[in-house]
Amino acid sequence: MGWGFYFDQTRCTNCFACVVACKDWHNVPAGPASWIRVESIEEGWYPNLRVSFLVRCCYHCADPSCVRVCPVRAIKKRQDNGIVVVDQEACLGKDKCRLCSEACPYDAPQFGAEDNAKMQKCDLCLERLLEGLKPICVAACPMRALDAGPIDELISRYSGVKEAEGFVYSFELKPSIIFKPKMKSSASG
Amino acid sequence: MEDGEVERVDATACASHCGGSCLMKVHVKDGVIIRIETDDGEEPQLRCCLRGRAYRQRVYAPDRIKYPLKRVGPRGKGEFTRVSWDEAVGLVASELRRVKETYGPSAILVKTGGGDVTLLHGTGRIIERLLNLFGGYTGTWAYHSWEAATFASVVTYGTIAVANTRDDLLNSRWILMWGWNPSDTIQSTNTTWYLAQAREKGAKIVSVDPRYTDTTAAFADEWIPIKPSTDAAMMIAMAYVMIKENLQDQAFLNRYAVGFEQYREYVLGGIDGIPKKPEWAEGITGVPAATISRLAREYATIKPAALIAGIAPGRTAFGEQYHRAALVLAAMTGNVGIHGGECGGRCLGDQYPFNTYPFQLGPLMEVGVNRVDAEAPLQKIALKRYTVGDRIVPRSSARVHISRLADALLKGRAGGYPSDYKLFYVTNSNPVDQLPYAKKWVEALNKLEFMVVQEQFMTSTARFADIIFPVSTFLEKNDIIASGATPFYGYLKKVIEPMPETKSQLEIAMALAERLGIRDFNVKTDEEWVKEIVSGSVIPDYEEFKRKGVYRIKLSEPYVAFREQIEAPESHPFPTASGKIEIYSQDLADMNDPLLPPIPKYIEPWEGPEDPLSKKYPLQLITTHFKRRAHSQFETLPWLRELQPQALMISSADAQLRNISDGDLVRVFNDRGEVIVPSKVTDRIMPGVVDLPEGAWFSPDERGVDRGGCANVLTTDRQSPCGAHVTNTALVEVEKV
Repeated sequence: MGWGFYFDQTRCTNCFACVVACKDWHNVPAGPASWIRVESIEEGWYPNLRVSFLVRCCYHCADPSCVRVCPVRAIKKRQDNGIVVVDQEACLGKDKCRLCSEACPYDAPQFGAEDNAKMQKCDLCLERLLEGLKPICVAACPMRALDAGPIDELISRYSGVKEAEGFVYSFELKPSIIFKPKMKSSASG
Repeated sequence: MEDGEVERVDATACASHCGGSCLMKVHVKDGVIIRIETDDGEEPQLRCCLRGRAYRQRVYAPDRIKYPLKRVGPRGKGEFTRVSWDEAVGLVASELRRVKETYGPSAILVKTGGGDVTLLHGTGRIIERLLNLFGGYTGTWAYHSWEAATFASVVTYGTIAVANTRDDLLNSRWILMWGWNPSDTIQSTNTTWYLAQAREKGAKIVSVDPRYTDTTAAFADEWIPIKPSTDAAMMIAMAYVMIKENLQDQAFLNRYAVGFEQYREYVLGGIDGIPKKPEWAEGITGVPAATISRLAREYATIKPAALIAGIAPGRTAFGEQYHRAALVLAAMTGNVGIHGGECGGRCLGDQYPFNTYPFQLGPLMEVGVNRVDAEAPLQKIALKRYTVGDRIVPRSSARVHISRLADALLKGRAGGYPSDYKLFYVTNSNPVDQLPYAKKWVEALNKLEFMVVQEQFMTSTARFADIIFPVSTFLEKNDIIASGATPFYGYLKKVIEPMPETKSQLEIAMALAERLGIRDFNVKTDEEWVKEIVSGSVIPDYEEFKRKGVYRIKLSEPYVAFREQIEAPESHPFPTASGKIEIYSQDLADMNDPLLPPIPKYIEPWEGPEDPLSKKYPLQLITTHFKRRAHSQFETLPWLRELQPQALMISSADAQLRNISDGDLVRVFNDRGEVIVPSKVTDRIMPGVVDLPEGAWFSPDERGVDRGGCANVLTTDRQSPCGAHVTNTALVEVEKV
């Protein structure tokens, strides 16, 4: 069964705890690569504004485009839990190939600043999952706005929806994330 | 730590000066921190913010000060050479002696602050004790953050213990966040978590703020932008609406308050001929009269309601009037002493030793008597009733106000200050970056005979030192912290050996004491201190506390400030002179200072929107807290810097007028100085207002223009009448570079 995320957009405060926790846990230096980001989506004009936050990472699609386009099959979707993983040894590097990055509408594949950096991205903290722990971003969230697990379980637990402010569901790729979206009616000047 | 050890995980509290004190789980292998997790245990979990999560990078930062440094170049240029502890301590001891013998102890000026806000190494207790034993020193007065809130709470309620525990927000039906942004400022661990739950339970949440903050975005049903420094006018107009429509809780006021009649007379216009109508306030605040009226009706009729008066609007010219007006609104609506209410007072929640909720601690290190303080009379300010525990807060007239420190160093007696200052000792503080008027600081520090700074990083203040003592982080020594509005204690554990040439504040002071021949300074280790503090506390088991890193104080229900005063007023008077909530303060009336009136009043601020200076400098500057820093802490950490570039937040309307596009470099300037920073053009700030977040380090170029984005290049060193440090009232102009 495929694993994925749940994100409660009504709770996220853009606090970046998940972002830094991920960098610390996975030893990702400051720089262009960040396995998880928080995006601010701002709509309207002063004083009638609406601002929402969206967590951006690999959504471990059911039918991932990165896996399809990788010329050396360095990216795989695991059979057991559906987590999309990259073999950095096999990856051609950003100077020779960025096909995965171009094919992903969610900007999941990330590259460091070094020459011909190999692709890196969220692996749903596979090593933690194997120990029965939640991914570090989920464990970090002071707002309990994130969860991860088999997507069917998340759907039955949260009865979430497939779209949120700033997020477009791809029917082709079927990203494994469900949301409690921020409703249009809340917060305005 | 021995080589080859297996990875272990130590639970310890975080003590950064961010507003929280959360639980870290530090993974250590071979004596080195390799990862940091946070609380995943019993509820309420105390989960770290981004600053705690980045702490590994702070401990191992390449720019950390790793050994004692002695200045070799011109002062302030940051040219130092490494020296031994023996040489550094010897030099500081001999300079302390020389200055005391030549000029007297008052020539030694000491600036302490929070730093890491712990009970042993935090604030300035250790150096204060040492220098008191040495013969005294000149200290400072006023809290950077909340002097106005302190003043107003003490005047009105007789105490600063005016806040409910944060979980009581779940009992509120209506929450008014006034200049309050806990998404960035934490305001006690879990505050945003309780806000989210309150909203999910159906509370309506309103935000009054010049900025559309992340807190506003996440929680508010409504945003009401307001011109900075005018908040009191809006609150007084809300009181007008309540009085006109007879919505105030008159029975509550009759029973528990004094002075409502005098306030009513002022509000209705009986004293100065100006009825404080919403239309009057609209002209001052920029908030539509209809919005003010509606808000007043909502606050007066939806109960229980919590007005959370943030302390940022208190850091303005006459900011104490805003806090006084908020406290009075809470009384007028009868939201004091009940679940789901709030007094509208100092919103932080109250750490030991303010004793909000019932708990206690064993003895802290005794500071002792400061001879310089004792030989001068007390200041004539209204806080005579203000004590902390059993200690009167030092308000000796020998002390220098924090806003005036640079001026005092510069001018001394010739400027009307009580002494001439020759030696400046700084610990747990970064005054050049965190106090107003950076240009004056440069001049002042260049006049000094000697300056000592205890630091972990090369801040703008440290750059001016003659000697820098490198201080260990809280992961390298033992300490204890008391939380704020979420009741718990945190144990700060020595999880790794300190960097070999760094020392704790306690060890530094002990080395100095030995050199100064002070025998009875201290005999305890840091852990012995923690044990003693714990021994007299509600914490039942020291070893368990140390192992878990936290002791949660279990309350049967959320703590409500003044519950006894409301439920049993005969046996529980308010700790004021009248025993009641003082809307009218006789203490203030006796001072006979028109700028500190006995009832809350709107007093037009200097450098406000109506100041003639606004012709030259038309934009109101505020200097808000920044998520990726805790004041000036964490400024250089790469993991945090990349999340938020330092920039001037300017409205689209003001940017367009000045032909500024998002990201353009801009000059921000007034008569006090000039900063060049990138702009952030946004609709999330009120036109007429710009925001340069505080805490960035002053980095002047060869012309003296700051390139670091330090807000205090532009802020004023004039304090508000109650002693509030004014960081959010300053006029500036902005130009594209």
